[in-house]
Amino acid sequence: MTRFLVLLLRLFPPGFRRRFGAEVADQIRRDHARVSEKGVLARWGFALATGVDLIRSALAERMDPTWEDTEEEEGWEMGGWVEGVVRDLGHAVRSLRRSPGFTAVSVATLGVAIGANVGIFNVVDAVLLRPLPFPEADRLVYLGATAPGSDMPDEFRLGTEFTFAFAEQSELLEGVGTYNTFTNTLHVGDRVERVLMSFPSLSVLEFLDVAPLLGRLPVAEDDGGTVVISHRLWTTWFNGDPGVLGQSVYVGGGTRTVVGVMPPDFWFPNDQVLLWGATNPRRADITPGRFNVLQVARVKPGVDAEALAAELTRIARRVPQEVAGSPAYATLVGQLRTVVRPLEDQIVGPVSKALWVLLGSVAVVLVIACANVANLFLVRGERRQRDLAVRRALGAGRAQLLRAQLAEAVVISLAAGGLAILIATAGTPLLLRMAPPVPRMGEIGLSTSTLMFTLVACVFCVVVCGVVPALRAAAPRLSALRDGGRGASSRRTWVRDGLVAGQTALALVLLIGSGLLMRSFQALRNVDPGYDTRDVLTFQIAPEEEGMEDGPSYARFHLAFMERLQALPGVESVGVVENVPLNEGTASGRFLPEAEGGDLEDAALLNVTFTGGDYFRTMGIPLIRGRLFTDEDQLSGNGNILLSESAARLLWGDDDPVGRRLRFLSADLLFTVVGVVGDVLQDDFRGSPQPLVYNPLAGPPRTWTISSPAYVIKARHPEMQVPVIRELVREIAPSAPMYRVYTMEGLAADSMQQLSFTTLTLGLASVLAMLLGALGLYGVLSYTVAARAKEIGVRMALGARAGQVQRLVVGQGTRVVAVGIVVGLVGALAVTRVLGTLLFDVGPVDPIIFTGMSAGMIGVGALASWLPARRASGVDPVRSLGGDG
Amino acid sequence: MTRLSDGLSTLEYHVLLALASGPLYGYAVKDAVEAESSGSLTPRAASLYRVFARLLTQDLVREVEPSEAVPPHPGRERKYYALTERGRVALADEARRFKEAAALAERRLGVVRRPT
Repeated sequence: MTRFLVLLLRLFPPGFRRRFGAEVADQIRRDHARVSEKGVLARWGFALATGVDLIRSALAERMDPTWEDTEEEEGWEMGGWVEGVVRDLGHAVRSLRRSPGFTAVSVATLGVAIGANVGIFNVVDAVLLRPLPFPEADRLVYLGATAPGSDMPDEFRLGTEFTFAFAEQSELLEGVGTYNTFTNTLHVGDRVERVLMSFPSLSVLEFLDVAPLLGRLPVAEDDGGTVVISHRLWTTWFNGDPGVLGQSVYVGGGTRTVVGVMPPDFWFPNDQVLLWGATNPRRADITPGRFNVLQVARVKPGVDAEALAAELTRIARRVPQEVAGSPAYATLVGQLRTVVRPLEDQIVGPVSKALWVLLGSVAVVLVIACANVANLFLVRGERRQRDLAVRRALGAGRAQLLRAQLAEAVVISLAAGGLAILIATAGTPLLLRMAPPVPRMGEIGLSTSTLMFTLVACVFCVVVCGVVPALRAAAPRLSALRDGGRGASSRRTWVRDGLVAGQTALALVLLIGSGLLMRSFQALRNVDPGYDTRDVLTFQIAPEEEGMEDGPSYARFHLAFMERLQALPGVESVGVVENVPLNEGTASGRFLPEAEGGDLEDAALLNVTFTGGDYFRTMGIPLIRGRLFTDEDQLSGNGNILLSESAARLLWGDDDPVGRRLRFLSADLLFTVVGVVGDVLQDDFRGSPQPLVYNPLAGPPRTWTISSPAYVIKARHPEMQVPVIRELVREIAPSAPMYRVYTMEGLAADSMQQLSFTTLTLGLASVLAMLLGALGLYGVLSYTVAARAKEIGVRMALGARAGQVQRLVVGQGTRVVAVGIVVGLVGALAVTRVLGTLLFDVGPVDPIIFTGMSAGMIGVGALASWLPARRASGVDPVRSLGGDG
Repeated sequence: MTRLSDGLSTLEYHVLLALASGPLYGYAVKDAVEAESSGSLTPRAASLYRVFARLLTQDLVREVEPSEAVPPHPGRERKYYALTERGRVALADEARRFKEAAALAERRLGVVRRPT
């Protein structure tokens, strides 16, 4: 113990240590010997108190000028190194305390920039970098399909027949299964809510390899009658009562037994799911050609994704020989290729691009901030040339000077790192409030990796801010002594000019990036989706009332309910639709125009939904030809349908489709087209309209059974209607909670939230970058003007006018900015491509944005130059020549 | 830089006081301080030698050869410290300040003294 305490003596200045070290050590040993008799506690108390006393005294002595120039003795191996670092840091702290302005500006600039990086990194780390909460999560993959050349979407899901084929034939997979997520009614005691649940196949629960916290997982013998619940559901609905095991809950139309509680950090396939059941698909139940299940697999260790995709594609193409399917099915599968993707990518999805762009842009801001601080260091170094030259002349080694200079950068960066963590801690909740719903949001928070990242950012700052100025300071011109230490070293301004040009270039890249996003955002806001989002409320209920056993009874219920809604004061019109745009996607099916004679290969893939009431008027979707549904259509399910414009064009070109017949292949039904309505954008404002078939409420058979349709209500201030409607729902369908309550305007805003959030944050980052860049330019020019005051004075004394002097300075500034802009434009050309899918209706090389932002940058550069220029033209020749400059 | 005008710190005062009886080595000073402050001061090693450093630079204390010191301690070689002339004056000044302060307090207390 005393040895450790004596080691702390190394912290003292060498002079003090040489003079008193042996005596202090001697007293420590004697004190320790005395205190040892009093027991362990006393010994530890002594060690602690003595240690604190040593450190406090050492730091105080480090600040004491008495020991300042005492020489380092050689021969301390580790100790000498620690000693040197401590001494340099002590020097740096003292020296920085003497220039509080420089210190404050540097720490604040770097602190804000590192803070922004730490904040975004927090999100990136939780969402993208941390592995999924399963053992060996990197061996879990998502399996999908693509079939170039077919009319299927770019990527689509596989069918259950493939799951069986993969499970039986693949040699590279350990296990494979299906999963899903859906919202359904959960009924426990008096509490009824719609919650998100997932029913993966039994094999998935097995190979995810997560043991429940309590109880067990569902098994095949349960025959689907069991569920496990999430830790969150357990604590919120059941008060964390272990007696929940064995309890019956009502889930989605049936009673099931809770057999397990999952651990708190478990989730699958996303963190909103509260309950899991299990499915046990049987071969006999398969209908080939339903490309509608999500598949997940566990890969054997060391298997390459490409090899796996090739093997699964081979297996998939043999599937039509094993199951009965139509020729069209066989053709499609012949073109099919299996897509293998890490499960993590599948879950995180498109957010990752936006997040990487954000992290990249704040990293650029950090580089710019570092350039600014580096410039401040350079200027500070210039001012201290004389001091450094004296030290060098007195025999200070190069390495010694370099270390001393670097120490200041280390102190500044560490202080900035501390500030950054404060900023990030305070800012992350704000960031998350603005952000679109990000998967794994719950995991975001300060972690060890955040701290490591901060440290790395600090080291980066030290290198960028400290090394160049330190190298220059370490080789001071001895001439600084001769000429009295005045005058700028014009031959060295290129380093500072280069930094400013670099800053300008980086800021321009960010400005162009955010400009492109802003234009995309504006374009997206101007998209006409084919419906009017103003003053429309939507909500869903899933009634399970008695007597709703067929299409007509189902239609009667909804028509009666809509009548009640229509009667509410302030309600203009009411409609119902299976899948409301911007909230849910539609199902699809294959259709064949009757006249074609039945060549199945030509069947068109159309989306299908059903609608009732005043849906089209409420949403402002125009009727283009024919008529809308009558009450007769709605109640009887007589096979009359409406087509969207693009569906009509796809089937019959420019011919009038009204009165024509259409065969629905999946259910073998014949429909009659009675009207054509306008196209709508179903999923978001980016895509093109999908061809859509509208069925009336009552038919065709089976479509109504599974669905919980969405109501739409047109009313002034629609959100004010919610309490009244809730009351009405409670009266008409007491067991059906009202959910997915949104205004259409809210859904529209949500659908753009990812872009608006990225646009906003990148915009902030680019404005910050521009300000920092302008500040850097201003700083350099101010310094140059101050240093060239004498020269300017001579010019003015010789008759130069104020305007000429101003042009001189502005000219210097503009040249630097121009170089920066050229470099920035080249950089932007190379970089804006990464925005790719985030952009909408604007190319990555948009001439308007490129020229506009460059012009803006020149303007800012001119302003930043003009302020010091004005000061230059105000130089009084008498003063600048007569005084000491 | 002299701090005499500001007075001495308690520890400084007690170190000077300990040395007033004659030269002592470091640990003996520590023991003396502990005893003479009735245990209210238990100087830790680093703090004690910081005080020595201050007193040495202010020329209130000097280092003396062990030969001058009485009595020579058996065992290892030790550094002995003694008061300088300045140190003697400073200690006397401090003592006088204490005395004046004590006298002032007594005078004040005299006013409130009960007649009995």
